[in-house]
Amino acid sequence: MPTQSANTCSRRYFLRLAASGVGAALVGRRGMASAASGKISVYSALNESTNNAFVEAFKKSVPGINVELLPLAAAGELQTRIRTEKDSPKGDVFIGGSSEFHSPLGTEGLLLPYKSPNAANVEPVYKDADGMWTGWYLGIFGFVLNTDRFAKELKDSKKPTSWDDLLNAAWKGHLTLPDPVKTGGGYIYIATQIFRFATEAMASSPSADQYAAAENKAMDYMKKLHANIGQYTGTAPQAIQLVGQGQFIGAPNWSHDILTAKGQGQPIDNLNPQPTGFEVGAVSIIKGGPNPDGAKAFIDWVLTKEAGVLNVKLSNRLSVLKDVAPAPGAPTLDSVQLVPYDRPWATNNKTRILKKWQAAIS
Amino acid sequence: MRKTLREPALVLTLVVVVGLLGFFVIYPQLRVVLVPGLAGYVEFFREQTWVKPLLHSLQITVLSTTTAVTLGFVYAYAMVYSDMPWKHFFRLVGILPLLSPPFVVAASYILLFGPRGVISYRLLGQSPNVLGLGGLWGVQTIAFFPFAYQLIADVLSRSDPSLEQAARNLGAGAWAVFRTVTLPLSRPGLAAATLMTAIYVMEDFGNPALIGGQFTVLPTQAYGLISGFGDLAGAAAVSTMLTVLALLLYIGRMRLEGSRSYVTIAGRASAMPRPPVPRQVTWACFSICLLLSLVLLLVYGVLLVSALVQAFPSNVAFTLRHFDYVRAQALSLRNTLVYGGTAAIICGLFTVLLGYLVQRREWTGRRVVDVVALLPAAIPGIFFGIGYASAFNQRWLDWLDRGALITISMIFWNIPIGYQAAVVGLQQIDRSIDEAAISLGASSLRSFRDILFPMLHSALLVGIVTTFVRAVTTLSVVIFLFTPGTTVATITIFQLINDFNWGGATAFTVAVIGMAVAVLVVIWVISGRRATVQTMASG
Repeated sequence: MPTQSANTCSRRYFLRLAASGVGAALVGRRGMASAASGKISVYSALNESTNNAFVEAFKKSVPGINVELLPLAAAGELQTRIRTEKDSPKGDVFIGGSSEFHSPLGTEGLLLPYKSPNAANVEPVYKDADGMWTGWYLGIFGFVLNTDRFAKELKDSKKPTSWDDLLNAAWKGHLTLPDPVKTGGGYIYIATQIFRFATEAMASSPSADQYAAAENKAMDYMKKLHANIGQYTGTAPQAIQLVGQGQFIGAPNWSHDILTAKGQGQPIDNLNPQPTGFEVGAVSIIKGGPNPDGAKAFIDWVLTKEAGVLNVKLSNRLSVLKDVAPAPGAPTLDSVQLVPYDRPWATNNKTRILKKWQAAIS
Repeated sequence: MRKTLREPALVLTLVVVVGLLGFFVIYPQLRVVLVPGLAGYVEFFREQTWVKPLLHSLQITVLSTTTAVTLGFVYAYAMVYSDMPWKHFFRLVGILPLLSPPFVVAASYILLFGPRGVISYRLLGQSPNVLGLGGLWGVQTIAFFPFAYQLIADVLSRSDPSLEQAARNLGAGAWAVFRTVTLPLSRPGLAAATLMTAIYVMEDFGNPALIGGQFTVLPTQAYGLISGFGDLAGAAAVSTMLTVLALLLYIGRMRLEGSRSYVTIAGRASAMPRPPVPRQVTWACFSICLLLSLVLLLVYGVLLVSALVQAFPSNVAFTLRHFDYVRAQALSLRNTLVYGGTAAIICGLFTVLLGYLVQRREWTGRRVVDVVALLPAAIPGIFFGIGYASAFNQRWLDWLDRGALITISMIFWNIPIGYQAAVVGLQQIDRSIDEAAISLGASSLRSFRDILFPMLHSALLVGIVTTFVRAVTTLSVVIFLFTPGTTVATITIFQLINDFNWGGATAFTVAVIGMAVAVLVVIWVISGRRATVQTMASG
């Protein structure tokens, strides 16, 4: 019964939005906001330092909608929370976290499809074809380096420019990596190696078969890397923390997090060995939430240049919008070569690859 | 049973208590257990990704439980039997490890003892690999000894000194008395402590996640499945596995305890002093307690220093700026105090009543309730929270205040320790005492209220104190329940840590610990007025 009414509701709004989309093109994005009002509840996996300024900017830009923000910088927990709340959804918007955390919710029917007019500026690879989620930032996988210890202890080595450079024996015991079994980032690191090795073969004949050979090469790589790794960590941020403290000299990790930690005064730097992997940060609407209109207005705003610029400034991430300049020192799509990251394949083969990895390093 | 039925008030109490347990422990857990479905379980067992974490879990449970219970026993013995100095200080130290979220304390251990730790490297020139089995064992020993200490101290303090005096008068030496009287009489406490510690070690997530390195145990695997991959079904299957393991431990304990009598309070309480502990033993006790205190003071000292400098350890210029976060997030601190305090009082009273109903009254199903009262300890907090979110986030329950729901979750998640303390306490009190009251015409509930309840004072205190401390420091239970208005301190700390704001996170932790210590001191001062000298040691 409630679902049905929500459906009718959404259909009606879809029509209205289609109409107002035309209007928006004429009067600009502020025209959108007039359709919605009240309060929205936003489940945010963004960094704590991003949340408040981001919400304030939205309220200023779209007056009339109040935002109640539920902050939890852990997308997996928010995803689980949305699942457990499905009998009586309390949130309107799920923002932050890579698309891997949004897309299963869409498949399970827990998201409300919405194609924002502003999503037209987003490349198709960065958004869901059915409008379940829309990508709005990119996170690039980089490398955190403790500059103090590197200068003292590894001054004869060069700073890594490709992931293969980490196999140099000088790094032995000085590296740490987020545990691929326990962290999404660690797994993306393995998958990145597979897609890296598959790149050449794929160029001649693109088929999933190419992955098999690449997979073996990646396992061989991970096995050699294992010899240099002093420790695998239970969470991705912990690896940055340990490098910041100088317990280890370097760790593969998210570039934007590395830059955020650097901003807190730690003696670290972000490097970008390439080709590398990346994540698509998504935003989506929770089906059956209290205020779908407000949620749509929020997503429209998130996809504006204004929000993109602000997020780049606050979080060091990269906007999906081409006209938004990257943060100073942050890697960009032009400066960093990315692997052809096949997200569905990486998700479907996760268990098998992790088992293979565990066997390879033991 | 028939006797029970003759008392309507008792029957009503029973129904309400059993109903509450069913609704707030069993029902939410069923929601979790049923998530994977039959196919999910088949798939899970076929994939065998659980084999290694299971073996690791069993290994660390045996190791950490053995050392934590041994340390707990020594600590309890030192507090109750010896006349070592600084007991008030050591009493606080004995609760300190429970007092702060593991994800902060673990980081502090690494700062001190990591490959470039302040002590390990700068002081001793060593570069140990602290993350892994060894480090985890050490940290868990310290983290979980307070449970063992509290339960054992409670039992020791209630044991009758006249038995030991009698043994001494009959010519037994100090060691013989310890071996043949003290140790056997503490068996129910030891059994309860071993069971509880083992279960808490097994479900521990925070320490293995941050200290365990690649040593994956069941809870970290389950948590990784959720936070890294959003695989709720796989994670729920792991949780079910943990519950089954806890049940096996429970059965093991039943066999260990047997059907002996541990009654030491048989009529009137003895005012006799304990036989003096040999001088060397007292000083040995003091040294061990002091050493432990030193480690803890270092660990918490790092937190305090981190909160007061720009960026520990690279920039140690003094600043108070990190405490701005405490002012900005005062709401979460206030919520923590209100929810934790309410939960502690209700949980303490509830568990003593529950202990009485199970231990003293005969009724069908009391064995089942005995198990159910243990279950929450075996459920990793994250699944307790998931169970609550899916069971109670329903349209028909939307009127329920979220703060109230969080408080309820804290009450039922913390039942096991208070309940164990109550049951063990009742095992020491001769049935003839309350039966006398009943023969004189008192109802069961009256005999409980007027006779047994006052005698269980220290067990109640154990329940209240541990519930409060655990409620204040839990993250995982609350993570699926909190709303913007009902956020708690651990959420704030979690957010700051994930933002690489170590200074802000430690400042907030210091504020939480300070608040909790203030509350504990108030509890101890109030209870101290009523307690005897003996029970001072427990709690």
